Amino acid sequence: MLPQAAARPRAAILDGLARPGGLLVIWLLLLLFVVYPLAMMLARAIFDNGALSLGALTGALKAPGNLRAFRNSLVLASLVGVAGTVIGFIFAFTVERLRLGGVLRRLIDRATFFPLISPPFTTSIAIVFSFGPRGLITYDLLGLQNVQVYGLTSTFAAETLTYFPIAYLALRPMLASISNQFEEASFSLGASRWHAFRTVTLPLAMPGLANAFLLLFGSSLADFATPLILAGSDFPVLPTEAYLQITGLFDLRSGAILSLLLLVPAGLVFVAQEWLVAGRSYTTVTGKASALSSGDSASSLAAAGLLLFCVAVCGVILYFYALLFYASIVQAFGANHTLTLDHYRVIFSEGLPAIKDTLIIALIGMPLGGLYGIAVGYLVGRGKFVGRKTMEVVSLLNYALPGTIVGIAYLVAFNDKPFALTGTAAIIIACYVFRYSPTGIRTTVALLQQIDKSMEEASASLGAGNFYTFRHVMLPLIMPAFFAGLGVVFIRSMTAISATIFLVSINWTLITVKILENMTEVALGPAAAFSVFVIVVVLVVTELLNRILFHISAPSLRVSRIGT
Amino acid sequence: MATATLGTKTLSIKTLGIKLDRVSAIFRHERRGDVTAVHDLDLEINPGEFLTLLGASGCGKTTVLRMIGGFQKPSAGRVFFGGDDVTARSANRRDVGFVFQNYALFPHLTVFENVAYGLRVKRLADTEIKSRVDDGLRQVGLGGLGDRMIAELSGGQQQRVALARAIVIRPAVLLFDEPLSNLDAQLRVQMRSEIRRLQKELNITAVYVTHDQEEAMAISDRIAIMNAGQIVQTGTAEDLYRRPASTFVATFLGEANLIRTTIVEVAMDRLTLGLGDSRWDVVTTSRGPLGAEVEAVVRPEAIRLSETKQGFSGRILSSTYLGSKIDYLVAIGDQTIKVVQSDPSAGPRFAEGATVEVALPHFGVQVLGAAMRH
Repeated sequence: MLPQAAARPRAAILDGLARPGGLLVIWLLLLLFVVYPLAMMLARAIFDNGALSLGALTGALKAPGNLRAFRNSLVLASLVGVAGTVIGFIFAFTVERLRLGGVLRRLIDRATFFPLISPPFTTSIAIVFSFGPRGLITYDLLGLQNVQVYGLTSTFAAETLTYFPIAYLALRPMLASISNQFEEASFSLGASRWHAFRTVTLPLAMPGLANAFLLLFGSSLADFATPLILAGSDFPVLPTEAYLQITGLFDLRSGAILSLLLLVPAGLVFVAQEWLVAGRSYTTVTGKASALSSGDSASSLAAAGLLLFCVAVCGVILYFYALLFYASIVQAFGANHTLTLDHYRVIFSEGLPAIKDTLIIALIGMPLGGLYGIAVGYLVGRGKFVGRKTMEVVSLLNYALPGTIVGIAYLVAFNDKPFALTGTAAIIIACYVFRYSPTGIRTTVALLQQIDKSMEEASASLGAGNFYTFRHVMLPLIMPAFFAGLGVVFIRSMTAISATIFLVSINWTLITVKILENMTEVALGPAAAFSVFVIVVVLVVTELLNRILFHISAPSLRVSRIGT
Repeated sequence: MATATLGTKTLSIKTLGIKLDRVSAIFRHERRGDVTAVHDLDLEINPGEFLTLLGASGCGKTTVLRMIGGFQKPSAGRVFFGGDDVTARSANRRDVGFVFQNYALFPHLTVFENVAYGLRVKRLADTEIKSRVDDGLRQVGLGGLGDRMIAELSGGQQQRVALARAIVIRPAVLLFDEPLSNLDAQLRVQMRSEIRRLQKELNITAVYVTHDQEEAMAISDRIAIMNAGQIVQTGTAEDLYRRPASTFVATFLGEANLIRTTIVEVAMDRLTLGLGDSRWDVVTTSRGPLGAEVEAVVRPEAIRLSETKQGFSGRILSSTYLGSKIDYLVAIGDQTIKVVQSDPSAGPRFAEGATVEVALPHFGVQVLGAAMRH
């Protein structure tokens, strides 16, 4: 067909093989680590000894305990969704619409950054330290006896404080994109600030608020660590119930069925988000950010109120972290406040295997996750093949689903042949890679959207083949996505627990699991010390990666910092 | 093969003609079904020629260029470079230099590496690359800026880098996709003469796409005017301006009055046209039947206004002073025509509402109509 077909060089052969080969590998990986486990879990829930049997399923649906957990989960998620969105919006509005000094800005940035990169128990531990029976505030300050900290209120408070930064980060760019010219136009027509806010800013922000609510609803629904510590026996939720079924009663099937219950609202949230994103075009009212905010969006009284609120929330967060650190360096918090490094000695001796395992797993998962992220991102963002959209959705599934579901699915799927991985590091690494690479995928797709198609055409017109173009043009340009992706995989490998709690073994365990064990054994000191250690490692690594990101990003391309 | 002299060096550059043989481009659109961007288009470009595809946005001109460049596969028809059928050849094996509208410079590479890119693909020796890139940068007036990053350059400089990158690979064909549309007016004029100079020096076949008629007229050997996926007329700027084959071309290139009239007499070398009660002789070889309704194309600057009794009686509807000229709108009969009077200080001025004599030209008038034969 082609005149020079006979003499095509090696690069041309690579051109021919790279795409179909890559496509095949990615599909196989997705099938094995996303589709297969979920299918196995579903099968476990609805099949009994090889026969279709919905008895257990309907039984589980009728069981009052399960229904209660289901209802509790929804109530908690709704409360956290609303409260977190409101707080997130107040923060976003304050930062975007008021004139803030550098100090305040930095305070807000830091305080909202901590919860995003902390192990999941951090806020819970601090709440126990503060408001527990021997809590700093309840016992020492107020002198209350026999305080009951466990239940809906504290779980709700802890989750809201942990997750509102997600809403804040989602709402900030959205508010920034709503030009304050709209507000100014409203003022010029005689509206008061409050009227302008109510009739212009708020309606324009509505899709963003809905999205933030869904994000928080999903996060709370999936949260396993906070309710495990704070909810207590009076307020069971689905993830903790599923966990107790499996680890306490060794009932894999009931766990799978409870996961299925959790799958319903989680699936709805996923669908609603896709729908919101699809219809988002009309909400990007203006692409260009106009002049800096005039700071006129709120009256000085309202501005003072907003600022006070933000500072107070930041204060609580920082107080919690300070408390955590303090608890890690005293003998026994609440009883003996002598300074000591004993807890750190404990985590670096008895806890050393967990630290080693976690670091090994995180360090192996990092490059794999980064690679996987840009490979899938490139295929989804630039490829033209049947099933591209399906690949995108499947690649996001493990991320979108609550960790409890993913963990149980992996446990069910990889317990037996042909893929017996239980007890290995591989299963934990695979779980992290496929669960936390969507950041890398999305960053790659976002970068590719900024890279005009003509860039590849320019390369082709200069004689380069597909593979040469990928290697010399596209790869350097999407390199930031590689680092962003591996950064998130690292952070989550250090901090996540909801899925991997089902996958740890005698051979391979994780720091987060150790923290949980310490908490249940009321060894609060080592738990605090472990948490501080994780936070420090994550802070150092993200800072390093962000420096690398800054240096390798092409100046004209925008990449968001890791952890934000 | 032709030889071009470049500075002190003599380079041998292939100069190929291009031929498009009944090419079509049909796009599948999700909602609108099949959209035909280019339909059955024939075009022949001579070796070393500078041809411009001129048309409004959406007329298919960029699609034609992309089919020549190999970025768009024709749905039908064939593309030839110097007699070779290149239709199935992908862009990276066509030996074309392409200058993109947004420049498409690689943001992660320096100016030098951007220009060197195509040479590195060819695995040339480093010394050869160095000398060719330095030459290329000098040719576009960017000598010494090789170490800069792309983001550090102005729009005009980026344009020059894009140009240098396309010419250092010594392509057989140079293609331009509205390369100047992101520059300000002054720079545009400067860059277009530089592009023209380089193309002549290199003696390279060039195809240029633009919607700017002045740019097209200034830069091209020939212009192909496109409308709705087809070429409606090809010729030099003067051909097209003076002898438009259709009212579309007449109104697209420059301003034109289309005066509705009828043929009242046909003689050897002229037609007599009726306008109201008056008659108007036009020297032309075009022929049409007596009584045919036709349109006479008259450029505004070819019409004279005066107070003396010659020609048609008209009334000034409006007068717009523009410094170097005055634009008049004049009513003759039930038609409104535009008249441009250059150098307003020299001639008489007419007030709005004044009655004037309108002298229509006898030469250089195109008579167009369904019944016309040219």
